[in-house]
Amino acid sequence: MNKTYIAMTSITYAMKAREMFQRSGIHCDVIRTPKNLGSGCGYSIAVRTAPEKAIPMLDAAKIPHKSSYNV
Amino acid sequence: MINFDNSATSFPKPLRVQNAVTLAVKKYGGNPGRSGHAISMQAAERVFEARETAAKFFGAQTENVAFTQNATFALNMAVKGIMQYGGHMIISSYEHNAVSRPVYALSKSRGVEYSVAAVYDDDDATVESFRKLIRPDTKCICCTAASNVTGRILPYKKIAALCRERGICFIGDCSQAAGLLDIKLSDGFDFICTSGHKSLYGPTGTGLLITNGKYPLSTVIEGGTGTNSALPEQPAEMPERLESGTLNTVGIIGLREGIRFVEERSPGRILAHEQRLCQRFIERLSEHKKIKLYRSEAPHLPIVAFNVGDMSSHAAASYLSDKGFALRGGLQCAALAHSSLGTLSQGTVRFSPSIFNTLRQTDMLADVISSM
Repeated sequence: MNKTYIAMTSITYAMKAREMFQRSGIHCDVIRTPKNLGSGCGYSIAVRTAPEKAIPMLDAAKIPHKSSYNV
Repeated sequence: MINFDNSATSFPKPLRVQNAVTLAVKKYGGNPGRSGHAISMQAAERVFEARETAAKFFGAQTENVAFTQNATFALNMAVKGIMQYGGHMIISSYEHNAVSRPVYALSKSRGVEYSVAAVYDDDDATVESFRKLIRPDTKCICCTAASNVTGRILPYKKIAALCRERGICFIGDCSQAAGLLDIKLSDGFDFICTSGHKSLYGPTGTGLLITNGKYPLSTVIEGGTGTNSALPEQPAEMPERLESGTLNTVGIIGLREGIRFVEERSPGRILAHEQRLCQRFIERLSEHKKIKLYRSEAPHLPIVAFNVGDMSSHAAASYLSDKGFALRGGLQCAALAHSSLGTLSQGTVRFSPSIFNTLRQTDMLADVISSM
């Protein structure tokens, strides 16, 4: 299963993003930001879809985000 | 003791608020937004739910709801965040010290100039008094939606429209109105500041600062937010920008249940119940010449300010306390409003019921006051 990790600017936006993905039937978890996504404290989302789909959805919902990677 | 001092803080709290607070202490003890472990995340989930509930209630985006300790903190953050680099602002003559003192402090420390707009029985005259005070350098109007002394509802939608027309930021002190009037950002507020523990029925130590995001605030408090910790500057994103330090998780969880309690009954129904009690109170006291009521025909929240002859309002409140009724005397932290009413020396006694008070309790109180 394609999974995208996206670093978020805050836990509030991470949870807001999770709700948005889940409303679209896409599984999403809020996690502590993995080391390879950024330094310092922060939260990320792990979305079960490709970045080409996830990132535009965040942008359309005006949910700010930072770096991402796909596994 | 029968509590008619609900404008200070509502008591009792709804059972669901009591239960939520107890559960929060027992179960949600983690520090929200600080860690990835389950205890922290569970607390963060509850805080997010509360944020969503408040956002829906006030018509805001979830991230634009910041939890504060009380309305005073929210008002300080909004007023100082907008005005800390100087300029001119306008407040009303009915403001609580939560507005007038920060504004006065800014005038001393930051050279802020301010004007006080008179409030009249006629709403259009009140709006006109604001309009006349606007200057080219006016940055903001901050006023109460309803007086905490008399309950007088200000024409806040018209004042908001004036602000929009002139490109001025509008900060509303909705401490008394939230939970009784259907207060929404769409009424024209740029910032809604309110306590959570009055007509929203949350625990003490809760308040809200809600914004439409149009005016980014300079911060008055900086610190740990659980995000971007390597950076020296405060994050720009709401709500973390305004929420430094550990949140009052227990209070916030209780506040969510308070808002849901109000939502289920609707502010309009709660208002109607409390207005019935005020109407009865006024009818009963109007029979007595020695009772002075501070009420006009203008719209009011369910608050009645009164005095018993020339008796000091503190003495009257103390007498009523001895008889088993909690009412507040004095200035109610609103010297400006009392100055406008001409009651600065005597103060007033304030009758402010909640959803839990009854007509029978109101009659019992009226009987005691009638015998004074």
